[in-house]
Amino acid sequence: MVRDRHFWIVVAAGLLLGGLGVLLAVWGNPENSGICVSCFIENSAGALGFQDNSRMQYLRPELIGFVLGSLASAVIFREFRSRGGSAPLPRLIAGMLLMIGCAVFIGCPIKLFLRLTAGDLTALAGVAGLVAGVWIGVRGLANGVEPGPADRGGRGEGLLIPAAFLFLLVLLFARPGFLVFSARGSAAQHAPLLISLAAGLLLGFIAQRSRFCITGSVRDIMLIGFRSYMLWGFLAFLVAAVGLSVVSGTFNPGFYGQPGAHLEHVWSFLGMALVGWVSVLIGGCPFRQLIKAGEGDADAGLVVVGMFIGGALVQSWGIAATAAGVSLYGKAAILVGFAVVAAGCLLFRERSV
Amino acid sequence: MFKDTFDKLCWASLAIVLIALLVLLGMNAGSEGKAASGLDKAVEREMAYHARVELIAKLYGPVDGLRKEGKNQEALLKLDELVRKYPGEAHGHILQGEILREMGALDEAVASYVAGVKLNGDYLDDKSPLSRRGDIQRLVDEGLKRIGARAAANPGNRTIAASLQKVNYLRSRLAGGCE
Repeated sequence: MVRDRHFWIVVAAGLLLGGLGVLLAVWGNPENSGICVSCFIENSAGALGFQDNSRMQYLRPELIGFVLGSLASAVIFREFRSRGGSAPLPRLIAGMLLMIGCAVFIGCPIKLFLRLTAGDLTALAGVAGLVAGVWIGVRGLANGVEPGPADRGGRGEGLLIPAAFLFLLVLLFARPGFLVFSARGSAAQHAPLLISLAAGLLLGFIAQRSRFCITGSVRDIMLIGFRSYMLWGFLAFLVAAVGLSVVSGTFNPGFYGQPGAHLEHVWSFLGMALVGWVSVLIGGCPFRQLIKAGEGDADAGLVVVGMFIGGALVQSWGIAATAAGVSLYGKAAILVGFAVVAAGCLLFRERSV
Repeated sequence: MFKDTFDKLCWASLAIVLIALLVLLGMNAGSEGKAASGLDKAVEREMAYHARVELIAKLYGPVDGLRKEGKNQEALLKLDELVRKYPGEAHGHILQGEILREMGALDEAVASYVAGVKLNGDYLDDKSPLSRRGDIQRLVDEGLKRIGARAAANPGNRTIAASLQKVNYLRSRLAGGCE
């Protein structure tokens, strides 16, 4: 295993993701949110005018970096392949459901472990939920639940999402008047633009090479245990994140007074369970969907579009949880999400008889 | 992709449109274009925010006057009236919290601050002219010490537990994070 170059790429991806996840918060991003794909998408949707929470509007350069870094890696190593056509509309809905689950927990699977490694013990309910959700998803795949293979290739549709993010990069630097950036609140907290962009590009690049993602790691550990490279990447992530949290003084173990966290553990569990379940069915967590979109996967691109719609809705409809807890709308949205996924499993199951 | 006349026409159209777009943007790159578009939302928002801060100062001016005269009970009555009149405005709750704390009603002060912060998180921001971050930090420190001690001495008391939960909410908001 250790003689395989890919093993070390996966370990490096884990180290960088965990390390930069902590460092970006030290450099200015919100506490425990150095990297949080769902928060970044909510912020970016706000900056583009899709939601009007004046404390959650900033076009996060990391997000742009993830997609363009992945594009660069895929092009350099000749892995860019335009493909798509596998259940497009359900994937769009899946993207929205991912954001609902993340918003109720307050964070994506990467932030889940960044919160935990910073000592936020409320994240434990989310870890249990993510593992449960991935397990249900894996059981679903084993029982024939399958969105269907990509049935089109070779067309230019895989270029659309990278092109859209290139356009966002232009907007980020041109700063036209219609972009709105928060002057107060968590979106006003950000690392310097060029550092954020460089970190995003680096992570996008190595994530494309390694195929590393948090939910994928949990899934692979479940399926193949210690033989999975992802396990070692995941351990590297945890070591880097814990180490840097302790060194930077942000490690603060406890249940109470944690940044961007609430104490409604059942809903934290359910939020992450929804994310885990959906992620397994569509082949990756929010971060992985961005990376796949960057390498030409138009299906993942539709998930990304769905995530932007979801990111706007969770803020506009009051679905997103806060430190005060989960709103009625948030709880209802989670239950609706589970109903939609369960119904989807029934519809997309290939039965042998 | 450059085989026949149609392909060539498409390429030519693409080139012409891109050049036209660049020329259009280049000609309107100055601040004049921005102002004319009326879309500089950041400036509009900042002006509205400052107008709001001034309105708050005007609305709650009488309360400040009463406080300066040492008439805290009357100030609280006036705040009750203002909170009923403007239920979505956080400032009344924050002022209530300040007065109640001065009067030694710690649990009630915490509850008022929580109500205010839930309505408007600007009171926690260093950058906001409305910021009460220092006061809230001191309130949390005192709350953890005093309410925490009472909660430890009375583990079954739900009222004290609820107050401690409110202190922890403020603590969590002070800790920051993305929400």
